[in-house]
Amino acid sequence: MAELILQALYSGLLNGGVYALMAIGLALSFGTMRVINLAHGELVLLAAYMAYVVESRLDLSPLAAIPLAMAVACAGSALVYLLVARIRKNRELNSLMLSFAIGIIITNAVLLIWSGDIHSTGSVSLQEAVQLGSLYSMRSELYGFLASLVLVTLLWQWLAKSWYGRAVRAVSSQRDAAKLMGINPAKTELISFLVAGLLAGCAGVALYSSSVIQPSLGHALTVKAFIITVLAGVGSVPGVLAASVLLGITEALTVTLWSSAVQELAGMLLFLLVLFVLPNGLFGAARRRA
Amino acid sequence: MKQRLLWTTLAAAALSLPTFAEEFAVGVQIPLTGAQARAGTGMYEGIQTAAELFNKGNAKHKIKLAVVDDESNPAKAVSAVEKLAAQGVVAFVGGFASNIIGPASDASNKLGLVYMTAGGVDNDLTRRGYKTFFRVNNTRGYEKAVVTLLGELGVKSVSVVYSTKEATADLAKDLEAALGPKGIKVSMHAFDPAITDFKPIINKIKLQDKPEVIFMSAYENDYVGIIRAAKVLKPEVKAVIGVWSLATAKMAKDFPDLMPNVYGTSMLPHPVEFKQAEGRLFAETYKRLFNKEPDYQAQFGYVKGQLLFEAIARSADAGTLKKGGLADELRKTNRDTLIGRVTFDASGDNPNFQQRIGQHQAGGKIVIVSPKNEASGVAVFPGLPW
Amino acid sequence: MNQRNFLFAVLLLATYVLVPAVFGDNNYVMGLIISALIVAGIAIAWALLGNLGGMVSFGHAAFFGVGSYASALLTMKLGWPVLLAMPMAGLIAVLFSAAMLPALRLSGPYFALAILAYAQIFRILATEMDWLTQGAKGLSRIPTLPVLFGIDLGSRSGSYLVIVTLLAAFIACYAWVRRSHYGTALRAMHDSEQATRVVGVNSVMLKAWMLFLSAFMTGVIGAFNAHTINFLEPDYAFGGGWSVLPIVAAIFGGYRTLSGPVIGALCIYLIDQLLFKSLLPTGHQIMLGVLLAAMILFAPDGLLPLFRRRHA
Repeated sequence: MAELILQALYSGLLNGGVYALMAIGLALSFGTMRVINLAHGELVLLAAYMAYVVESRLDLSPLAAIPLAMAVACAGSALVYLLVARIRKNRELNSLMLSFAIGIIITNAVLLIWSGDIHSTGSVSLQEAVQLGSLYSMRSELYGFLASLVLVTLLWQWLAKSWYGRAVRAVSSQRDAAKLMGINPAKTELISFLVAGLLAGCAGVALYSSSVIQPSLGHALTVKAFIITVLAGVGSVPGVLAASVLLGITEALTVTLWSSAVQELAGMLLFLLVLFVLPNGLFGAARRRA
Repeated sequence: MKQRLLWTTLAAAALSLPTFAEEFAVGVQIPLTGAQARAGTGMYEGIQTAAELFNKGNAKHKIKLAVVDDESNPAKAVSAVEKLAAQGVVAFVGGFASNIIGPASDASNKLGLVYMTAGGVDNDLTRRGYKTFFRVNNTRGYEKAVVTLLGELGVKSVSVVYSTKEATADLAKDLEAALGPKGIKVSMHAFDPAITDFKPIINKIKLQDKPEVIFMSAYENDYVGIIRAAKVLKPEVKAVIGVWSLATAKMAKDFPDLMPNVYGTSMLPHPVEFKQAEGRLFAETYKRLFNKEPDYQAQFGYVKGQLLFEAIARSADAGTLKKGGLADELRKTNRDTLIGRVTFDASGDNPNFQQRIGQHQAGGKIVIVSPKNEASGVAVFPGLPW
Repeated sequence: MNQRNFLFAVLLLATYVLVPAVFGDNNYVMGLIISALIVAGIAIAWALLGNLGGMVSFGHAAFFGVGSYASALLTMKLGWPVLLAMPMAGLIAVLFSAAMLPALRLSGPYFALAILAYAQIFRILATEMDWLTQGAKGLSRIPTLPVLFGIDLGSRSGSYLVIVTLLAAFIACYAWVRRSHYGTALRAMHDSEQATRVVGVNSVMLKAWMLFLSAFMTGVIGAFNAHTINFLEPDYAFGGGWSVLPIVAAIFGGYRTLSGPVIGALCIYLIDQLLFKSLLPTGHQIMLGVLLAAMILFAPDGLLPLFRRRHA
């Protein structure tokens, strides 16, 4: 039993890393603009298809697709921002709807271009088993987790140290005050969407390398990323990583101790519990959702 | 441009007049988008092949297909049936997934039109006692195939990993009920179709169940996840067995290092070696039309189309087609097809149906290994993808 | 005002008499219209919650699914008559919506996605509780609508009359709430929740009533759908489409108006099925996405207010 639980914790930890890559972008753009980009999961999926294109057409490793995936996801994210920024009226509802519509467009465009077939990497080295003591994983999962650690650290440092990073933080906590301090909120928001796109690009490649992609996946990715954003609470980058790992581990333990059929149930219940009991998320700065 | 088109059409119409071939419209209600799009498209290609071959070999009657995508949605499937009926089709062929075929064939039964399918295996479909409903395959056929294989391999314990979808859960539970009395130890693991990481399940199988065989009742994306997890954790089993959409050339091509020695239901070996001339003709025609190797969905599509078209021709000759005689004519079917002998009982089921099991073997080949009398090669057992 | 009443009477007559008279023989067209009206019913319920309650839901499939299963099980297992089971299914949907009361404190996107989580939870429960719901296999052969006063409600024209009556009742109820002092209080609440609380209006209570009303309507529509399609399974009954299409429809028609959701649903569904589907057999929903995006960018109040402004 101990061995089972240890392996579940390890699998959950690695999955959590990839979840974090997907969620941080969403959390960042939400933090600065108070806009939930419901097309975020679709952007991750689009990036994953770039990895598929590079692998199947050019016969390269999916890792070689990272620049292309990042570029595509960035462009998509910037487009979402530019369109959402045009909304003047009832922004909270309309931005949800608009990004949702963009998600529908991307999902169906993917279906039209690449059909409904399933795809995943054929790379032998990425799929290879890696053993750490009595713990097992696929090499790509380990890579994904490490990449996530590095990117989260970089982002954290960037937000803490660089001028733009601080501007992003300033805009997300006190928009009007930031304006008075000479920060251009529009530019800062665009930057946060671009960074979200970069991370979505990496997340897409990680997704393609470790699991199976198909056109209808995007919406589920968005929901997962949003759940993590809620668990983490707004304004904490390490919080997102911790929440992602928590979700990953909860899912894996549910399978081990109960049944895989209720894995999604456990995630949703955790989400509602945190939402109702901890209004600021597990790690968020004090701010009410009501 | 438009005018030229018009003239071409008129010319074509004039040319086709003197042949006096009687044309019958057959409605195809099938998912080309949505969750079942992949299977639906394959079946539709098979049906088109059947129509092509029928029209070539039959001077007196011509079949014209009218297709409507049901979007994998029951209400739209009912709409499709009604739309096609309004266009004057003589029968329906198609459908995929029992819970879409159910309402669609309800509608066709109300209209008094024959509904022929190969995509719904649920036992409830034939319990309705419709005179107009026919299908060439059923869950029992899949269950029999797996039970036969496990018997032939002499397996004593099996862990079943199944998706909580209709067809997959049905098969898993029927199999559990069938294997228990034979003294085979069965442990069940259900999973939600949304999950992607199967390591926790496989680890339970590896450390708790310790079975001889892992059986997967699932779909393509699940197979990839399960086999990958198994390759990582390497449980000490002797075989990995699945069902539909697994022992296919496409899977061998897309996931070459996941597939070796994996078993799945398959009517055809790959590369296709047909023993009968009919099979060769089917494969050639399919290749010409779609520029790829036929898979098992295409084959089911072909068989159900073929049987229906032949019955339409017989019924038209007997002059009973317009008087609702098609169902009786179809019930007289008794012939060997690419999927074995087909007859229909009073409820429209094909009691002869039994799937075959294929195994991915060296060089991207799929060899039929069970049942023994249909085998095209010998099973590699124990044999694993790792 | 008289002219308006006259127009209304003409419209009512046309809906009840003209449509079945013209299309009654064409099962296909009647089927499409009924499907569109089912979406319209959910869209009304959604718009009521959004407009009066100020809450955007992404999970109306939760109420739809609960209502459809409740009615199917009441008729199949307990032998209830269909017309009695349908309102009861609405009440059961209300009962389930009571589980969402804690979510009322949440704002905007948090509420929207919390309701979505409920829809997912209900779907998984319906799959897992197979002793009651037959799990993933689903329920088939659900009883159809009965024959009443010599009219076969199970036929296409009969079902059409039922759904039109349901929608008319929903709209009347919506209009009544909007005009009543609840409506005034709700409008005041949008302007300033704190202020209303000071004046003595219990805003959470008001929101709860709107949630219940919306759940009831959606549950009844779910039940209607179960008895017309005669089959259910968890992925279908709780499918995302039941949450998404009504939103698109309501936004398209104008979710702040009474008839906008209905007009939106008819437009969206019929355009999609009759036009887009023939233009683009696979992936025609992309056009819906484009349409929705364009509406939000260029006419955020929907089609109806857009026309009114043009003709003002």
